[in-house]
Amino acid sequence: MRDSDAAIGIGLRAPHVAEIVATRPALGWLEVHAENYMGGGPARAQLDAVRRDYPLSLHGVGLSLGTAEGIEDDHLRRLAALADRVEPMLVSEHLSWSVSGGVYLNDLLPLPYTEESLAIVADNVARAQDTLRRRLLVENPSSYLRFRHSTISEPEFLAALVARTGCGLLCDVNNIHVTCANLGGNARAYLDALPAAAIGEIHLAGHARVMRHGKTLLIDDHGASVAPAVWQLYRRALERCGVVPSLVEWDKALPPLTVLLQEARIAADIAGALGGPDASAA
Amino acid sequence: MPALREVQTAFRRALLEEDDGALAAFIADDGVAAIVRLAVHRNNVRISLTDALRDTFPVVCRLVDERFFAYAAHEFLTTSPPRRACLAEYGADFVDFLAAFAPCRELPYLPDVARLEWLLNMAAHAADAAPLPPSSLASVPAADAPRLVFRLAPSFGFLASPWPVERIWRLNRPGVDSAEAIDLAAGGVHLEVARRNGDVALRSLAAPSFAFRQAIAGGRPLAAAAATALAADEQFDLGAAVAALFRDGAVIAFTLAAEAPS
Repeated sequence: MRDSDAAIGIGLRAPHVAEIVATRPALGWLEVHAENYMGGGPARAQLDAVRRDYPLSLHGVGLSLGTAEGIEDDHLRRLAALADRVEPMLVSEHLSWSVSGGVYLNDLLPLPYTEESLAIVADNVARAQDTLRRRLLVENPSSYLRFRHSTISEPEFLAALVARTGCGLLCDVNNIHVTCANLGGNARAYLDALPAAAIGEIHLAGHARVMRHGKTLLIDDHGASVAPAVWQLYRRALERCGVVPSLVEWDKALPPLTVLLQEARIAADIAGALGGPDASAA
Repeated sequence: MPALREVQTAFRRALLEEDDGALAAFIADDGVAAIVRLAVHRNNVRISLTDALRDTFPVVCRLVDERFFAYAAHEFLTTSPPRRACLAEYGADFVDFLAAFAPCRELPYLPDVARLEWLLNMAAHAADAAPLPPSSLASVPAADAPRLVFRLAPSFGFLASPWPVERIWRLNRPGVDSAEAIDLAAGGVHLEVARRNGDVALRSLAAPSFAFRQAIAGGRPLAAAAATALAADEQFDLGAAVAALFRDGAVIAFTLAAEAPS
């Protein structure tokens, strides 16, 4: 495996597990959604099998870091217990919220970016990091709407969160592309406004394009190959932060594993051309 | 400026109750109307939760068909949205919802099929637990045995039904294409669901064994569970029944109940 291959992982999805365990493709690591492995049984046994061959990254989708009512103890403890058992190389969550009034809405919902919300998210991130006893990477969301009362730009908000909590960033370059297309922003400027040294992981995925009332909206459905503009952003991200662990993920209309491996190969070639993991100090 | 909690409450109402009024005022139009932008999130929530319910209740879905299932799921998730982020744990109340859902009354066996699917789902995801060996009972004096309260592995579940739900379930699993007839008058079943050697297994129990194990699972002391089984079969072999519990890896802990109540 080349050094640049070691930086590239894919999102592990249940239909691919058996093939990955049997064929052990040349990937540096795998990422799993934490909430799929908080019980026991066959799923947990599969995770243990995969972990013998690959470093794992735990990607949470249910912690609701942006919730005004504070993150749920029970869920945080389950995440911490899973992390203690799996010993992941990275643990990440989202700059979003899903819980209101004790109801879990199962979507990564957008936040207004204000001093109030910054204080709330920072408290929640700090509490999560205290319980996990490790640094959390926080992922930039894909956005479809903007709140009128926001006073801080999204990359500035993320930079302030890093400064206040010491968290790292999971930079999803597809999300940057989608958000900037939907809300009218410059993706390159957004990327350049993130604190490069805090970026500990990059996400790559495909999106869909839909027409609504004569306007185009991009939907972050993880249901296609990575778009050319997103590969461009990936190159730019690596120029800024060096080669960091990078992930190809696919959810909707999941294709055969070989398709994900081809995407991972493209990412590895880009990373390799930029100097491999040793360039990460740049 | 609205407080974050107020924004999130309004957002929840917009998603679940289709009451956009309060939220729309907070959202910038930016060339695409707020309600159109909100619809992206509403679709995400509805589709993902319907998918989660379909994953847990695939046979119910097949019995009522996709479109009806989506309708029932929509009605259900509006009033009973998830309270936790692990979606495998979502849907316990779907069983009672279906039992009370008027459009389902033509399928009286449907709630029991849903109960079975819920038990199978719980068995698949229940926490791992190490079974006790039978020798762990060696320390219990014989005189105390009637007061034993066993804790069963969390994957164990029990269902008694007046309908042939095991057969209904087997013949309607996804991918099974059977022309076999199902006789709804064929009689009821006593089912046990549990994880065995790592995989979920469903099996039929004789009525006395079912009564015994269900009583044990419900936390009844051994004497009371035995009485339940003996009422169904005066030949019930208690020693063999306890040995079988251990052999099945069902017992993960035990305590002694307080001195026998009169």
